[in-house]
Amino acid sequence: MTRYLWRVIARQLHRSRTLLGLTVLGVALGVASVVAIQTLNQGSLLAFDGSVRAISGQADLTVTGALPTLPESLLPIVLGDPDVDGAWPLVRADVAVAGRPDLNLDVVGFDVFAPVRYPLLDAAATQQDPLASLTAALSQPGWVAVTPELAAAEGWAVGDTVTVSSGSRAKDLVIGALVDFRRFEPLAPRRLAVMDIAQAQESFGRRGRVSQIDVVLREGTDPAAAAARLQAALGPGARVQTPEQRRQDASGLLAAFRLNLTALSLISVFVGVFLVLTTVQASLVRRRREFGLLRSLGATRRQVLGLVLGEAAALGLLGTAAGIPLGWLVARQNLQTVSATLTSIYVTEGIDRLVLPPTVVVLGVVIGLVGALGGALLPAWDLARRDPSRLLSPLAVHDAAGRGAGRLALGAAALAGAGTLWFAAWGHGLRFGGFLYGFVLMLALPLLVPAVVRAACGLARPGGFGPALGLRNLRARLQTSSFAVAALAVTVSMMFGITILVGSFRQTLVTWLDVTIRADVYISSESWQRTGNDAFLEPDVLGTLAGWPGVVSLEEQRRLRVATVDGRPVWLNGLRLTDRPLPGVPQADLAGRLPLLAGSPEAAVAGLRRGGVLIGEPLARKAGLGVGDTLRLAGPRGPVALRIDGVSYDYTSEGGTAFVAMDVLTTRFDAAPPNNAALFLAPGSDVEATVDALRRAFADRPLVIRSNRTLRAEVLAIFDQTFAVTRTLQVMALLIAALGVSVTLLIQAHERAGELALLRALGASRRQVFGLFLGEGTAMGALGLLLGLGGGLGLAALLILVINRTWFGWTIRPAWPAGDLAVQAAVVLLVAAAAAVYPASRARLAHPGQLTRDDL
Amino acid sequence: MGDDILSLEAIGMTWDADRGAGRTVLDGVDLRLGRGEAVALVGRSGSGKSTLLHVAAGIAVPTAGRVVLVGHDLGTAGEEARTRLRRDHVGLVFQFFHLLPHLSLRENVALPGWIAGDDHARTHERADRLLGRVGLLDRAGDAVGRLSGGEQQRVALCRALLRGPALVLADEPTGSLDDRTGREVMDLLLDLTRQEGGALLYVTHSRELAARADRSWLLVDGRLRAEAAA
Ligand SMILES: Nc1ncnc2c1ncn2[C@@H]1O[C@H](COP(=O)(O)OP(=O)(O)OP(=O)(O)O)[C@@H](O)[C@H]1O
Ligand SMILES: [Mg+2]
Repeated sequence: MTRYLWRVIARQLHRSRTLLGLTVLGVALGVASVVAIQTLNQGSLLAFDGSVRAISGQADLTVTGALPTLPESLLPIVLGDPDVDGAWPLVRADVAVAGRPDLNLDVVGFDVFAPVRYPLLDAAATQQDPLASLTAALSQPGWVAVTPELAAAEGWAVGDTVTVSSGSRAKDLVIGALVDFRRFEPLAPRRLAVMDIAQAQESFGRRGRVSQIDVVLREGTDPAAAAARLQAALGPGARVQTPEQRRQDASGLLAAFRLNLTALSLISVFVGVFLVLTTVQASLVRRRREFGLLRSLGATRRQVLGLVLGEAAALGLLGTAAGIPLGWLVARQNLQTVSATLTSIYVTEGIDRLVLPPTVVVLGVVIGLVGALGGALLPAWDLARRDPSRLLSPLAVHDAAGRGAGRLALGAAALAGAGTLWFAAWGHGLRFGGFLYGFVLMLALPLLVPAVVRAACGLARPGGFGPALGLRNLRARLQTSSFAVAALAVTVSMMFGITILVGSFRQTLVTWLDVTIRADVYISSESWQRTGNDAFLEPDVLGTLAGWPGVVSLEEQRRLRVATVDGRPVWLNGLRLTDRPLPGVPQADLAGRLPLLAGSPEAAVAGLRRGGVLIGEPLARKAGLGVGDTLRLAGPRGPVALRIDGVSYDYTSEGGTAFVAMDVLTTRFDAAPPNNAALFLAPGSDVEATVDALRRAFADRPLVIRSNRTLRAEVLAIFDQTFAVTRTLQVMALLIAALGVSVTLLIQAHERAGELALLRALGASRRQVFGLFLGEGTAMGALGLLLGLGGGLGLAALLILVINRTWFGWTIRPAWPAGDLAVQAAVVLLVAAAAAVYPASRARLAHPGQLTRDDL
Repeated sequence: MGDDILSLEAIGMTWDADRGAGRTVLDGVDLRLGRGEAVALVGRSGSGKSTLLHVAAGIAVPTAGRVVLVGHDLGTAGEEARTRLRRDHVGLVFQFFHLLPHLSLRENVALPGWIAGDDHARTHERADRLLGRVGLLDRAGDAVGRLSGGEQQRVALCRALLRGPALVLADEPTGSLDDRTGREVMDLLLDLTRQEGGALLYVTHSRELAARADRSWLLVDGRLRAEAAA
């Protein structure tokens, strides 16, 4: 039987190589989208891990602060613990490189005399004469070691000077050594740079404060117990975590982002299953006599089933073999934008090196196999259960599909109804409820397809050799046509769902920017985007700005990463705002700039002045807080309780955001200069001219000066970049669905050879036959669009109203991106028509002399 | 001569001639069909009758000789021109009817009109008139699947005659019908073709049916031999 299996596979492969090739390609695309997304998802975690391991090495615990920095004075307390074998402070700064807008260095300042060996020192030591390096690091101002990879990419050599900046402070660094951290930690960030801790403090940090203290415990110590004891000793201003806890924090931060992409990539797999279904069924119909013979020769049902599934498995494996490398390529292609999203939206480590984790390879194989077998199961089972004497004829299958259409539609209604009831009653309360409900809807949609195709095509009254005749033909081959239409419908649902979501989100964001971005000029620093914490604007800068001609008001803001007492990260924003009415500048009125979801603007403004807090919507939703509640933040000297005076729409971060008056921030958290400033200009001022003048005045400072207009454009650009990867997924799903159209029409070109020969005999030209098939492909596209529009609306509603609220916490006002949808609809039709070109060119070769006895 | 609907001159047909030892099926066939004439073609299975019809319809290109269809030399016409000539001047009837199962009677009959891009209303009007002539008008909207063989062939006759072709080619039109039904269909075929003013060339295995033609030819060894005329 096995030998037979291989022979059959070989023969099939040869006879239907185009068909199988297209199917393998479809499987490959499905596997590729999962592999790509998982590689990127894992990449984001691995990048974080890599940076933790490269920096903290074999540290068992890491002490960080309630604030981004903590006092050096905690070090003796740590070292005083009996179980602590060693501890060393690190100062970290994310600095911008002058002239390289996309490049940030992750500067780590370390104590070269730290008593413990860890990768940094190991790395430094192996490069050159270790002692010489260490002496230089201490004595030479600006000495820094960078990775050879970065140096090569930037064309830096030892001895070169590189200007970097943190906030408004610029500093010249001298490349003192090249250190290959990857010899110790393969995923160490490329942008890692190390220097002496005192210099780092001096240049980028603050005297007496460090970013973290890494701790190595004595052999045999229980890390959890030690952590608890240290936490108690250090007080509420510090946070003691194991590397695993830090990893979990990072992974939790990205959970929603990762889940969304995963769900989208699974849609491609789902679409791919339909493709396999189509092909396997066609191949079985073609070979029904062979199976009839096998069965009458005594092959059991199980053997026939096994044979068919074996072939499907081979198909799946071939697809997987192509899909994994393809997925890897897709991941690489999207690396840049995903990495940019991670750094700009999630402020976590970007991915600068992709690896293909073994788990992802295994997942790819599993998806490919399960998808192919899943697609084959139904037709295989159908075949196996039939009497050998009555093995299905192609039209019997289509008749059955015709009769089954009504029942399937009822099934779809029942499934969707049950899903809706479940969701209304229980599902909406579950975190994964929205995803499950969406999945149920996407399952119900294909079941509806045969009935819709039958009804829609039944309306067609052919009055000529045109599209209506094509529709009739689709209806006559309901079983094959339905799979292709279903695949398209699911794809279009996904495309439209996401497009409506993104369009609505963008519209919401624009409205929100209109409300909140009211000042004329915005000033921040090159390093600010990544590190609000320590990218300060120095007083001289603020002074110059305040006195600039035409400036009627200067507002300051400081952003600080803190956490609630239960560990939820919060971006705390301290605001020093215009609090007097500015004649002629109504847009400066604070109450008018608060996009409040709950609470009144006047009360919120008054509350802010009294020391209250305004929280962003995601925080309110995720922490279950509202106006009148208390927000409890972990402060440097213990919990800080703030009364919530308003909840505002906020799209800056899916984590928490909170706004307080600047003096609350400085007195209860951390006194430091602001990170950015906004200017209101006198009525009638030329904003762009002022921006140009300011840029000239600060030409030698690492400042970013933007007009209202450019800031807005940049925010929207970041937004668009965030969805770049979803566009790739949309394209891949559409390609698979297009393959479905190709495969279906190829099968029909074969199954309908007699009909085509007849048409040619009756005088239809080759061009007309070609046109007929092209029309049928386009008709499938149109039907897919019709169904997908319904599915897309459902998905969009689910995404906007449910999934976004639970996972991201944003209110998105539904909008109708008609232009985008129209373009996509046109693309779907074009792609469907293009997918029909090859089958049509095969169909047009039908010869009028080919009519045989049982062709029709 | 100018009145000939179909003129075959010295037609030779060797299948797979390009592949060395080809199989010569026709070898110097001459045949003329005048307007309104009915000619029967008989011969043993495999003698090349269908091949001859295909040649006449411009479906197959002979390896030798000249085919002139209503004044057009098929030898000089390209594939597209031959298709158009077939569409405009030839009606085809097959042994196995070859109706499209997913179309109604009327739609099957109208199909050649659709292909030719004729006026929709006129085509359907004419389809209905022909269906009325074969007694199937009351079922014009039904699917063809449930028709008997004889009924299906009557629909196929209507389809062949829809556009008033100058030449009707019928390849064993009664071959899969019982004797009585076969006679009825043959009657219709002859009557209708005559009434519509077309010439008819039909293949049959039945001497009785061959006798209904104006002339009848026997195809042997690739050549036509006259049979007793009616
Ligand atoms: N397209 C083709 N390619 C190669 N050989 C062909 C082709 N069509 C017909 N033949 C061969 O030509 C010979 C004549 O076939 P044809 O179908 O014309 O016979 P026929 O007289 O119609 O027979 P029947 O009465 O059985 O229908 C046969 O031997 C057949 O195998
Ligand atoms: Mg024949």
